[in-house]
Amino acid sequence: MSSFDELSYTTPPSPPFDSISSIRYSPTNPDQLLVSSWDATVRFYEIGESGVKQSEAKAKFDHRAAVLACSFSSDAARGYSGGLDTAVRELDLSTEKITNLGTHNDSISSMTFTNTNNALITGSWDRSIRFWDPRAATPQQSMHSTPERIYAIDHVNSTLVVAMASRLFHIYDIRKMDKPAQERESSLKYMTRSLACMPDGQGYATASVEGRIAVEYFDPSPASQEKKYAFKCHRQTINDVDHVWPVNSLAFHPVYNTFASAGSDGTVSIWDHKVKKRLRQYPKYPGPVSAVAFNCDGSKIAVGVSYTWDEGEAGQKANAITPWIGVRKIGDEVKPKSWAG
Amino acid sequence: MAKKKNKQIIRPWCWYCEREFEDEKVLMQHQKAKHFKCNMCPRRLNTAGGLAVHIQQVHKLEPENLPRIENALPGRDGYDVEIFGMEGIPAPDVADYKRRKEIELGLSAGSISQPPPKRAKVENRPLSEEELRRQLAEHKALMGLSTQETTTPVETSSGPAVYGAPQTYATPPIPPPLAGSPPVPPPGFFPGGPSPPPGFGAPPPFPPFMPGFPPGPPPGFPVPPGFPPAAPPFPPGLARPPFPGQPPFIPPPGIPGAPPALPGAPSFSPLPPPQFVPAQISQNASTAGVPPQGTPLPPSSSQTPQTASEPPRVEERTRQPVLSLPNGAILQTNPEFKKPTDLKFKDANFSPDEHRAIHPKYFCAKLAENPSPQADESRGKKRARAEDFL
Repeated sequence: MSSFDELSYTTPPSPPFDSISSIRYSPTNPDQLLVSSWDATVRFYEIGESGVKQSEAKAKFDHRAAVLACSFSSDAARGYSGGLDTAVRELDLSTEKITNLGTHNDSISSMTFTNTNNALITGSWDRSIRFWDPRAATPQQSMHSTPERIYAIDHVNSTLVVAMASRLFHIYDIRKMDKPAQERESSLKYMTRSLACMPDGQGYATASVEGRIAVEYFDPSPASQEKKYAFKCHRQTINDVDHVWPVNSLAFHPVYNTFASAGSDGTVSIWDHKVKKRLRQYPKYPGPVSAVAFNCDGSKIAVGVSYTWDEGEAGQKANAITPWIGVRKIGDEVKPKSWAG
Repeated sequence: MAKKKNKQIIRPWCWYCEREFEDEKVLMQHQKAKHFKCNMCPRRLNTAGGLAVHIQQVHKLEPENLPRIENALPGRDGYDVEIFGMEGIPAPDVADYKRRKEIELGLSAGSISQPPPKRAKVENRPLSEEELRRQLAEHKALMGLSTQETTTPVETSSGPAVYGAPQTYATPPIPPPLAGSPPVPPPGFFPGGPSPPPGFGAPPPFPPFMPGFPPGPPPGFPVPPGFPPAAPPFPPGLARPPFPGQPPFIPPPGIPGAPPALPGAPSFSPLPPPQFVPAQISQNASTAGVPPQGTPLPPSSSQTPQTASEPPRVEERTRQPVLSLPNGAILQTNPEFKKPTDLKFKDANFSPDEHRAIHPKYFCAKLAENPSPQADESRGKKRARAEDFL
């Protein structure tokens, strides 16, 4: 395996000072992204191209506490953020004005913006999902209790998947939120760490802290459910001991329906879940990969490298990792071998 | 006051190349020699503007053909920012630099960059008798868990302000005696012992930086970490919760197991607060001090998870740095491995992020109030202005 080459990446100026909690690409501009961080900021970048256009840190939003989640609105004019101080905020990306939409009762762990009813959906450790309409006088539209703390949410079309502690999953129809359409237990035996929905709307991928990814399908029919499977990844055998790292982030390619996984082992892999093959593993990064994202046209992948607290405070000191964001152009390595289109 | 302390910890630095200097005089010499030197003649100028005018007038270069400022970081090589020593550095860059310094030195967020203005005010002026009385009343009320808001001085001391308080910049936050994870000694805890691990907050080039010692004990005392006698940042998490939580479960004081020696407690017992105890807090209370993952919560009516449909109450706006299971019935255990395995993250019940969120460096005790548009707006405006200046 070749070694990490920073030159194949474009890095934006003034990256966060502390761990990167999430990276979200603009739904309309393939070069703009939001990065939320444990340094209590959300940063808005426009990624350039070396020699053509400089990358730019367009805006920085200061928060009172670490930010765990961010998202763009569907027109990409605004961003949203949530984190340890429990407030849901709207970030105007051009004026840098911050509006407080409301609060959860505990830290906000995840959020996603849906076109279905132009709503922001947030999930929190307070065991609730809330819907927000930023334009309404009282932005909070509805609240739905869940049995456990929410670790990750994602949606595709009008299907919302909620990953919780205790390995629970709920699948909702966004238009009928009164009760979950399906309640499932994770097919992985260890704590759920990340989640991403397939852009083709068939299912989702989820990963655990024990280097393993499961591919699941929405259709509850036995024929579809039979297709679900799980596989090991982000691990290494050293002296007959299996070292197993958490899989911190998953992201689907918007066109090819393949997906990327990012692990605390410092690698990012691209998978073709249809043929159950790994397409590519990028050269190992200098530290754990905490976030990964594809841009809207699928031409680039953004990778966030930073410590993810797997080994507590001690781990942070033992190997001080400078938070790093890199964006690389992607080619055919993310395309399924059988791709015809 | 805060400013003075900043001066001690942040040395003059050059905006163009982010080098640090002993004092501002040396910094200015550096800027003249490295950044404001004309590369067509030996002349050295005092400022970027001066250099621009010199090049235009003496060497007859058009303004658009000016060479970039030499030896500067990318994005800082232009003439539009007028820098003179430490003067004129754009505010966002100063803030950025301070944050980076904090991280480099392993200090808690805000210890350099945002000295809390509120606390300073309280401390700086002698309290009138009336205020003292009011604070005492509030304190008592709090100890008895009546309904008080969170802004009482007592409460502030448990809030994030403490971590950012001026004195703590010299004291890396002490990890709470966290149930479930072994306490980690703060860096450089034993002055005689091995030097702090490389790479972390290593260089304390500043005289006031006493390597990680809580103000209380004399250096050289191997105090068990997690129980620093002076315990500045952390008593509330452990000391307080058991008490407010008691009334619902435990009959009058004096029963073994009741927390001993809680000042003011017995005399204050008449307050009958049970109905006010938010489920969340009583849970914390019952699990504080016991390893959360080892102990499934016994089902009990007072621990039924608070139904999420209740409107948020005022008393809930603070929380304690304790991890507690909201639903003990679904306690998770990791299955055994067949082969020798080094699983990097072992807790089956709380995510790495949840552990991180209660670490003093990140813990946010005071939750956001429901929309406080004012505060946020002014903040937004301020940012915009700073950007304009760039």
